[in-house]
Amino acid sequence: MAGPKASSQSQATLSHTVSTLWKSYAHKTPDRLKFVDVFLTFLVLSGVIQFAYCVLVTNFPFNAFLAGFASTVGQFVLTASLRAQVNPENHTEFKEVSPERAFADFALGSIVLHFFVFNFLG
Amino acid sequence: MRFLRSALLSCLALLATVLAKSSSGDKVLVLLDPSLDKANYSIFFNGLEKRGYDLTFRAPKDASPAVAAYDVPNYAHVILFTPDTKCTSPTNPHPSHARLTRTVAYASDITPQSLVGLLSENTNLLITLSPKQTPLTSLATEFSLIPPPPGTPLVSHHPKREEPATLVPVDVAPSPMLAKGTAPVWFSGAPHALGNSPYLVPILRAPATSFAADSTDDSDAAVIVDAADKAGEGLWAGSQLGLVTGFQTFKNSRVIFAGSVDLFSDAYARKPLPDGIPSGNAQFVRDVAAWVFQENMVLRIDRTAHHRVNETEPPEMYTINDQIVYTAYISAYNPRTSSWKPYDGLTDLQLEFTMLDPHVRTALPPVAGEPGKYEVQFRAPDRHGVFKFVIGWRRKGYSFLHTSTTVPVVPPRHDEYPRFLSAAWPYYAGAISTSVGFFVFSALWLAGDVKGERKNLKNTKSE
Repeated sequence: MAGPKASSQSQATLSHTVSTLWKSYAHKTPDRLKFVDVFLTFLVLSGVIQFAYCVLVTNFPFNAFLAGFASTVGQFVLTASLRAQVNPENHTEFKEVSPERAFADFALGSIVLHFFVFNFLG
Repeated sequence: MRFLRSALLSCLALLATVLAKSSSGDKVLVLLDPSLDKANYSIFFNGLEKRGYDLTFRAPKDASPAVAAYDVPNYAHVILFTPDTKCTSPTNPHPSHARLTRTVAYASDITPQSLVGLLSENTNLLITLSPKQTPLTSLATEFSLIPPPPGTPLVSHHPKREEPATLVPVDVAPSPMLAKGTAPVWFSGAPHALGNSPYLVPILRAPATSFAADSTDDSDAAVIVDAADKAGEGLWAGSQLGLVTGFQTFKNSRVIFAGSVDLFSDAYARKPLPDGIPSGNAQFVRDVAAWVFQENMVLRIDRTAHHRVNETEPPEMYTINDQIVYTAYISAYNPRTSSWKPYDGLTDLQLEFTMLDPHVRTALPPVAGEPGKYEVQFRAPDRHGVFKFVIGWRRKGYSFLHTSTTVPVVPPRHDEYPRFLSAAWPYYAGAISTSVGFFVFSALWLAGDVKGERKNLKNTKSE
């Protein structure tokens, strides 16, 4: 009966890994990035809900779906970029980009995105 | 007193001309073969004149009065009482063929082509045929009538009677163009089979016991049947043969082919039937002439209108899914008052909204209380393009009704789409929550800037 033993062993390893990952994330990630991650999680949930509604209920009006879904996707991309640029561990990669500059890019990109989203929403 | 009487007479004459005119004109040219005596058809001709027709008689070979001048018909109707008249044009004008040229019996303005030309100019024709092969027989074949072999008149031995077998009493089938209860008519002449042209209007059919044969002697009946089987032509017999058949052209001009000129004669009109009752010939030929001269069963579309529901004017273009109201006004000709009267008797009128194919085909019913008005409301298809409102109504014996109106159907303008649909609220909520989330995120980010920056700096320092 090696199977169950092995699986329980691997399960234990997995839960151990996950808890290690979570502890590491909770302790080592700056609050700022955790805040960004909360926003990203919200965007993912919003996008998933809209997609499920489109598939399960109706895709009409399709332009509204595209606008709503694209707004979450676009905002996710912009926020993820912001997270990458303000992450201290990536400091060496974005030497010329200060956190202020990164936020200004993020804010401008988001405003343009929302301008198009609300034009397309119908 | 004399003045009064003349005034009265002129009043009567005026009344006569006002009453009972054809919808297409009153001038009638009668081509009467010299072998026929006009007096023998006085009941028919006098009846026409009494109803207000202006008859002009002419032998078929007379050059004047011409039937048409410069391709414009001079007469509204032409009666050809020339069942036996042979040739239409000189086959050879050479003097040595004097015998051939002497058989010329029609002037040059009467040819099959000119008669068809008259029909396309909305002139009506009443043509009589006979068992003899004549140019008119060939013309009849062009109208999808199939004549039997030459010299085979209609023969029937039933009912038993004193008259010869070629003089047949024929029952008149009820038809909207004939008076109800018309008595059987005497007929002696050529039958014809009907081709499959949908424009044929059978009026009088041969009796079921009749047949076309060159002999009234029954001794060789078996030979006839054998020959019919072998020739593959079938037997010229039974009620599928026509005796009087109409044809209505695309332009609503009408032509009648009658297998016998005697049908119109006084002798047959006065001759009692075998069972003693008077024959129906007079009534029958009057009704047939009324139909062919476009007195009866003449309809027209006066005008059509279309608009969006709750509007009155037609828009420049329709939008897909618009509710459209289409109206047609239809009149029938009333020969008694010689005027057009609104007509609401059509129950099978249909409207089609077509772009190549009918996208909508719907009944166009009469509006109760408003005679002559036919109206329907329907939804334009969810399809844009150049559409047509089409009415095409073709029924045997009635004038064909056709009208077509082209309208563009466009998709909605950018500002005509419906807004704020309830089905789309998840998407609206998603987009709005993303924007709100962005603003809250930015506000918190900026508010926490100083502290967070310090923390970051601390972190970097500690590392």
